[in-house]
Amino acid sequence: MIKLKDVQKYFYKGEEREVHALKNINLEIEKGEFSVLTGASGCGKTTLLNAIGVLDQISSGSIELEGKEIAHLNSDEKTKIRLNDMGFVFQAYNLVPVLNVRDNIAFIMRLQGYSEDRIKTRVLEIAQLLEIDNKLDSLPSLLSGGQQQRVAVARAVASKPKIILADEPTANLDSKNSQSLMDMMKELNEKEGVTILFASHDEYVVKSVNRIIKLDDGALV
Amino acid sequence: MFKLAIKNIFYYKGRSITTFLLTFFSATLFIIFVSFMHGSHKTMLHNALKVYTGTIQIYQKDYRDEGGYDYLIFDNQKVFNSLEKIKGIKSYTSRVETFGIASSKNNSSAIMLTGVDFKKEAKISELKNALKTGKYNTKSNCLYMGEDLAKKLNISLDHELSFVGSAIDYSFAADIFKLCGTFKTGMYEFDNSSAFLNREYFDGLFYSQNASSYIVINVNDLDKNNYIASQISKSIGKDLKVYTWQDLMKSMVELVKVDSIFGYISMALFFMVIFFVILIYGFINISSRVKEFGVLKSIGLRDIDIDKILIYEILILTLSAIVIAICLGGSIAYYFEINPIVIEGISDMYKDYGIISDTVPTDFDIFTIFWNVSLIFSLNILSLIYPIYYVRTFTPVEAMRHV
Ligand SMILES: Nc1ncnc2c1ncn2[C@@H]1O[C@H](COP(=O)(O)OP(=O)(O)O)[C@@H](O)[C@H]1O
Ligand SMILES: [Mg+2]
Repeated sequence: MIKLKDVQKYFYKGEEREVHALKNINLEIEKGEFSVLTGASGCGKTTLLNAIGVLDQISSGSIELEGKEIAHLNSDEKTKIRLNDMGFVFQAYNLVPVLNVRDNIAFIMRLQGYSEDRIKTRVLEIAQLLEIDNKLDSLPSLLSGGQQQRVAVARAVASKPKIILADEPTANLDSKNSQSLMDMMKELNEKEGVTILFASHDEYVVKSVNRIIKLDDGALV
Repeated sequence: MFKLAIKNIFYYKGRSITTFLLTFFSATLFIIFVSFMHGSHKTMLHNALKVYTGTIQIYQKDYRDEGGYDYLIFDNQKVFNSLEKIKGIKSYTSRVETFGIASSKNNSSAIMLTGVDFKKEAKISELKNALKTGKYNTKSNCLYMGEDLAKKLNISLDHELSFVGSAIDYSFAADIFKLCGTFKTGMYEFDNSSAFLNREYFDGLFYSQNASSYIVINVNDLDKNNYIASQISKSIGKDLKVYTWQDLMKSMVELVKVDSIFGYISMALFFMVIFFVILIYGFINISSRVKEFGVLKSIGLRDIDIDKILIYEILILTLSAIVIAICLGGSIAYYFEINPIVIEGISDMYKDYGIISDTVPTDFDIFTIFWNVSLIFSLNILSLIYPIYYVRTFTPVEAMRHV
């Protein structure tokens, strides 16, 4: 479903402090996969995930989503792809602070123009699965870290994107919360068939996934 | 987006309250300030017109340029007949001016002697109210003169003085007069060199029956003054020329303009300060939210959507502040238009400008209020340009890394 060809990424290209963050990456992610990008801190996991999520410009190479080149689109087209085809979960939860849980989960669906009826059922369905259905009216700041991260996951999956990109989703969680988040995401993957790609070196993540992609100093191993 | 903007407003209370209050207070203050400024200018002009000038004057075409008896109006009655037919005129009268030397036992002075119809004059000017000693409505050879002039000539009531001048046929005219009343208008030229004589006696001495230097008119509604002036102009024939108070009081009109400009400049400076405070508060708030905007961008909001959120926020804050300010400032301005403030002594302070009452009304004017607040409104919108630009410079990744 996603195909990376010869992807290179430099930061500060041509300057003395140049970083060659991604080195000739060739990678394919299949539909329905539940996999993790792993490797030491600073090896390029986030950079690769951002490249796939068209959040950041790559220096050369190509990225295809279902056969369509997406790495070199203009910024509005990229925004559209992120909105419609991708779901993001970040280390720092990154919920919209002024919106309650319900509106946070519904946020992307609203942007996509779903009917309020559909939004309502879908929000409830996903909130039950992630066990946050009793918090729907709270503001994010009143929730624990584990709960906030589940809201972030709910927001990402609610609109049924083609792939979910999760960057260190468990890094701020204790082991119990990490384990239950992974269990729920696994359940989502199995029940809804959603493709999920993690970037993490957390053992809870690594042992839960079906495929491990190892990165070392910007290159696949 | 709109809903999100509203939620942001309630969430970021500090910034919202500051922006709201500053906008509200500056708009209210501005409305009140400008109303008072316009009000006092209007009063100043009105008073000045009331003292002596009237709102319209009619002259023989060249009198104001050439002067002299050759350019008098020689048929008052004909002009009066025309004036009777025009609506909106409150009162009118004619005046004949002549210049000559007045001498008392001790002193002499060049004076302007004006023949007036004291009864009609009372409806046009403040001469009657400016009475200091003696009588206003003097008969036969009784003079009514400026207090300062009387001092200069060193005479008091009932003393005699002589006047030498020329009649309007240029024959020699001289007579002995008695001082029967003095006035003080506050206008120096006037108090220092003017004397008035009733028309009948004046005409007998100077042969000026049915003639006049000019005719003075007051209208009911000053806003219609120019229209009435043009009506008069049409009906009185080509030889005569109509002047409105704007023509007659050029220097005062200029003075008011200059004063308004200074008023606006000081307000503008004040606004600059307000503007920068709003700008800085807005900017601090927005830069603290860069990360939030980065998240929104990464999950699918376009730059334009972010702009919209920011614009909605300021629109809601500014509009609500301004609407309340219009209501409050407007009603204060309106209240003081109906119930003018009385400041004791202001008439003394401004007597040179002919202010003759202690009241200072505001001038409630929807149009002025409207453009004043649009100015504040635009400034507020303007304060967003930089923050919007600033937020746009971040890519989603940079924005999310921003602390
Ligand atoms: N925005 C950036 N500017 C400059 N260098 C960066 C930036 N992002 C990442 N890097 C560098 O790229 C390399 C890979 O970083 P990253 O992808 O964040 O690693 P990981 O997520 O595996 O910890 C690191 O050397 C890091 O310093
Ligand atoms: Mg990382």
